[in-house]
Amino acid sequence: MIKTVKIALAGEGGQGVQSVAGIMVEAAYEEGKEALYIPNFGVEQRGGVSVAYCQISDEKIGSPKFVYADLVVALSDRAVLRTKQYVNKDTVFIYDTFIEGIEDDLPTNAKRVLGIPALEIAKKELHPRVFNVIIMGVAIAATDFIEMSAIKTALEKKLGYKFEQDPSLRDLNFKALARGVELVKDLL
Amino acid sequence: MAVKPIQGEKRVFMTGNEVVAWAALAAEVDIMYGYPITPQNEVMHYWTRLAPKYDRKFLQTEDEISAGFTTCGGVLSGKRAFTATAGPGNTLMQEAMTMAEMMRIPLVQVVQQRGGPSTATVIYSQQEVTMTCYGGNGEGLRIVYSTGSHQELFDYTIKAFNIAWKYRFPAFVLGDGYQAKMRESLNIYDPAEKGIEIVKTYPFVGLEGTPGVDREPNHLRNTYNTEEELNLVVNELVAEYEKMAPEIVEYQNFNTDDADIVIIAHGIVTRAAQAAVKTLREQGIKAGHFRPVTLRPFPEEQIRAVVKKAKKLIVAESAQGQLRKLVTDAIYGESVPLENYYKPGQGITAEELVEYVKGL
Repeated sequence: MIKTVKIALAGEGGQGVQSVAGIMVEAAYEEGKEALYIPNFGVEQRGGVSVAYCQISDEKIGSPKFVYADLVVALSDRAVLRTKQYVNKDTVFIYDTFIEGIEDDLPTNAKRVLGIPALEIAKKELHPRVFNVIIMGVAIAATDFIEMSAIKTALEKKLGYKFEQDPSLRDLNFKALARGVELVKDLL
Repeated sequence: MAVKPIQGEKRVFMTGNEVVAWAALAAEVDIMYGYPITPQNEVMHYWTRLAPKYDRKFLQTEDEISAGFTTCGGVLSGKRAFTATAGPGNTLMQEAMTMAEMMRIPLVQVVQQRGGPSTATVIYSQQEVTMTCYGGNGEGLRIVYSTGSHQELFDYTIKAFNIAWKYRFPAFVLGDGYQAKMRESLNIYDPAEKGIEIVKTYPFVGLEGTPGVDREPNHLRNTYNTEEELNLVVNELVAEYEKMAPEIVEYQNFNTDDADIVIIAHGIVTRAAQAAVKTLREQGIKAGHFRPVTLRPFPEEQIRAVVKKAKKLIVAESAQGQLRKLVTDAIYGESVPLENYYKPGQGITAEELVEYVKGL
């Protein structure tokens, strides 16, 4: 039984990792768990690697940042380089296979290193805009700490006003979520 | 007063900056003065969203020098007023803060520490301890609460206003960029629910009647002509501060009773220290943790009592010895060995403290 799950999500500014983190911790909180989320932030106005540090637990959470993560998801070459430091023998490290030229930079000390074609699937099967929702599905499946129903409720809370305007967006988002879960289930 | 901003008590999940804004509302604050600086910006952001709904005010000034002095002015007119800042903004505010010490202006300043020196990072540090406790020209006649969680940010922000107005010294809530930006759960409440009475405010200027005829004159001076006169005034200020100190000092002990090794840490680092002590105890190492909650006044007697029983002390802080200076000043004369775990501008986790203690 896992007591605290530590997750580092990293990508380029605009890839939506902070939104994913925000929705996941909101869902965990609504489920009655303790959750702590801290974005990294620098002096740059835009661009740069964006990292979200999340912890979800059955008990009160200690330091906001951590030394090693249970799950690292890296969505760009720079994100891979930046987040390698959070990997140890218990870490599942997930990267997008769309990233080129990082084969030699992937961590060698992780429990598992999984490449997933999330960006390709977003572009070909769904819509580039739901790339980060696929990633959310990936993170949920890889850690298995939170009920899908809670995530869906949190998604509704965050995007409900958009779903109202265009109900097909709801289907698209939920499909993306399910696709992300599938991607990991196939690999684990 | 209009509708209470918080009815009863409720569980929420939000950033620390939002917590500060809610706490100020709950503490019946009339006005915030401020100038933007990361990582404090969202205190202003949330305050400006919430304040108009409850007939509260906000003034954005041209810089932090002005924000500090307008806060002084607001309080002099009898309003419950505060400001919030960080890093270089805290530096600029120090002149106004010393005026608040000299004229006994009960303002509140919230500090969300960022990295230093200079612009450095907008992220996190504990490098504003010396400045927040002793900044400016003067004797550090102020109250500084160092918080470690969102619950404490809420509780101590409310408390800071009450303590400031009760004792007429400026009060500081010393948070940091982590606390400012992270989200975690806490309970927010109407202070009356907890039996907390909000201390009444009153004007210091523009009073009824003729001074010296209808009432005593209200001396609000920060300028003196002679050495003797100033010395007398400062001595009186210090005496009043020292009289108040035992009533407001706060601290926490974690397993210090039988501890061989005591980790001393404040603010958010207390979370790492508490978790480290738990892990070390599970592994049979007699570790404990002493946490000063008020950095000014410092819990001198209480730390000395703990130190007397310990075989080794470790000061752990995200600064290069700013807490240590407060500690060594308080325990002067004790001979217990003292180690430093300094990480200026960087966070400290339980895991690294455990490793460090085991490596000693």
